[in-house]
Amino acid sequence: MGKAEQSGSPSSGRAMNATQKMFARACSRDWVTPGEVVYPDPELVIVHDGFVETAYKELTGLGYGRITTPEKVIFLTDHEVSYSSQRAVERGRNIRSIAKEWEVDQFFDVGRGGQGHIFPIESGLIRPGMFVMCYDMHCTNFGAVGALAMAVGPEVTSVLATGTIWTEVPHTINIRLQGQMPKGTHARDIGFLLSHGFASGRWAFNHDYRVIEFGGPGLVGFSLAARVALCNSITEMGVANVLFNEPPPGINVSGVPDFLSDPGATYEASIDFDLSHIEPQVALPGGPDRAANVADHVGRPVDHAVIGSCGSGMYQDFVDAAEIMRGRRIADRVRMFVVPGSTATAKRLANEGLTQVFIDAGAMILPSGCGPCAGGSMGPLGPGEVSIATAATNHTGRFGAKEAEIYLGSPLTVAASALSGCLADPRKSLQ
Amino acid sequence: MIKSLQKTGRCHVFGDSIPLDEGVMAFAFAIGRITDPAELIPHLFECIDPSFASRVMPGDFVVAGKDFGCGKPHFQGFIAMAALDMGVLCGSMPRTSLRGAISKGLPVLTGWSPQHLPISDGDVIEVSMETGMIKNITQKSSASVEPMPIVLQDIIRHGGVGGQLKGWLDQHPQLQLQPGAVSVLQQDIPIKWMKGAQ
Repeated sequence: MGKAEQSGSPSSGRAMNATQKMFARACSRDWVTPGEVVYPDPELVIVHDGFVETAYKELTGLGYGRITTPEKVIFLTDHEVSYSSQRAVERGRNIRSIAKEWEVDQFFDVGRGGQGHIFPIESGLIRPGMFVMCYDMHCTNFGAVGALAMAVGPEVTSVLATGTIWTEVPHTINIRLQGQMPKGTHARDIGFLLSHGFASGRWAFNHDYRVIEFGGPGLVGFSLAARVALCNSITEMGVANVLFNEPPPGINVSGVPDFLSDPGATYEASIDFDLSHIEPQVALPGGPDRAANVADHVGRPVDHAVIGSCGSGMYQDFVDAAEIMRGRRIADRVRMFVVPGSTATAKRLANEGLTQVFIDAGAMILPSGCGPCAGGSMGPLGPGEVSIATAATNHTGRFGAKEAEIYLGSPLTVAASALSGCLADPRKSLQ
Repeated sequence: MIKSLQKTGRCHVFGDSIPLDEGVMAFAFAIGRITDPAELIPHLFECIDPSFASRVMPGDFVVAGKDFGCGKPHFQGFIAMAALDMGVLCGSMPRTSLRGAISKGLPVLTGWSPQHLPISDGDVIEVSMETGMIKNITQKSSASVEPMPIVLQDIIRHGGVGGQLKGWLDQHPQLQLQPGAVSVLQQDIPIKWMKGAQ
């Protein structure tokens, strides 16, 4: 693995990296410079069910009766899908009323779309080259198809009111993937290793609010699901976005605007990352950066296992897990949840017999959405319990009880662990 | 509302890497979508300093080391701090957290270090966001850091993003609520049957 170095050619004239291109287009300009503050015009503005009421309260409190460009706004419900409290029922009703009052016609209510960082990719709402703004930080998943989605958090109220918000053009770090991943490893394992490397200062660059752009020969053969998993598993470190310098697999890119970096584009830093010797990882409880070899933690009993959510809720993720689980039963003391990322994926899993594989194994299928990862409103974790999950994050209390432990892993690791009842190395299950 | 970019206040000093969740404020308030300052203020820094809420006074400063407000960008703590008219002086802050604090109207100046200018718990400091000058009035010392970026100064002058949005609404009257409009959230929703109603 190489060390940080400058790349890009000063003689390349106006060569731009992908981030600059998408920002420039959103600003109706020919060029933007990393570090400058701009006011981009997003093609879409996405807000999930956890924030619609708050945005409405804030804006009506200020005297707003309308939002600026409702035709660009998408509301979607993925955090609390199958209501489990009176408050959730009320919230659902309020969101429907707000969508009507604000004339937000692109509204994906419960049971309509699925997880908000997955189904827009699958349905084609998000396309290569798009510039969008989202409430939720895991919109970085959209980088898998070559779209730049900026997470604006609670300031999405400004975007709803004015159509834009001040945004600093982020610098880009180029990670060249080398070699091929060994069997039994997964893009999430790469993400945990990189997160650990960023957090521990392994490389001589600052990753805070940087776009991470992947390229290199190691990227060949990555499925769209693998790209999503990689985007997702490094997001919690505070990166601004994740992009790839190759067209997305399986996506028609004819007629889309330019979304790849130019040869000779400038990066703030570049590193090489060798995939050929990585091992299956778990992120220990506390954060995705707390990567460790699964092999060193095999045998830790688990009570709860989850495959899905925005971390790994694509069809291919379930195919990978089913390969391990087909014809087997999960351990008696484990409860397992399968959370398809979209209603379309849920249908496909049913049509192609994979739902049967999971049910036969003893797993439960939850409605498409965030699953337990939205604070444990579905399938929560109790005090003293241990989970292994493909969730986006494993901070304290994320699945419910604060006194619980959440390990993150790939769909392969989760499947293998659910079968054995303990953290397990998926390479053994694939032998 | 135009707020001053100069603040004087008493300091509460913390170390490096104070996280937002389970540091500035328990995660439960974020996932509970609590935004009422009155509910949040009693729980400020409760996870790492249970007596903080009983000691803090309006106008005080939080002084912290590097990476203040790290972790998930949940801003409930910043809502409480802004409501208390507090300020933050720290070594550094993740970009997303910094803009979150500013958006709530909480002024933050970064670039400080204890080697640069020693500050102890209880010291009174005077900070100019506009020039970056920090005076420790108690210890009679001073130092300067980079001033707050201009784009952030403007937000703080308006008391946060809400103040800016009021200005925008004045310039775009077509977005205003119609006289007599009733918030859809004020409708009485007759659901009282579910166990564990929150």
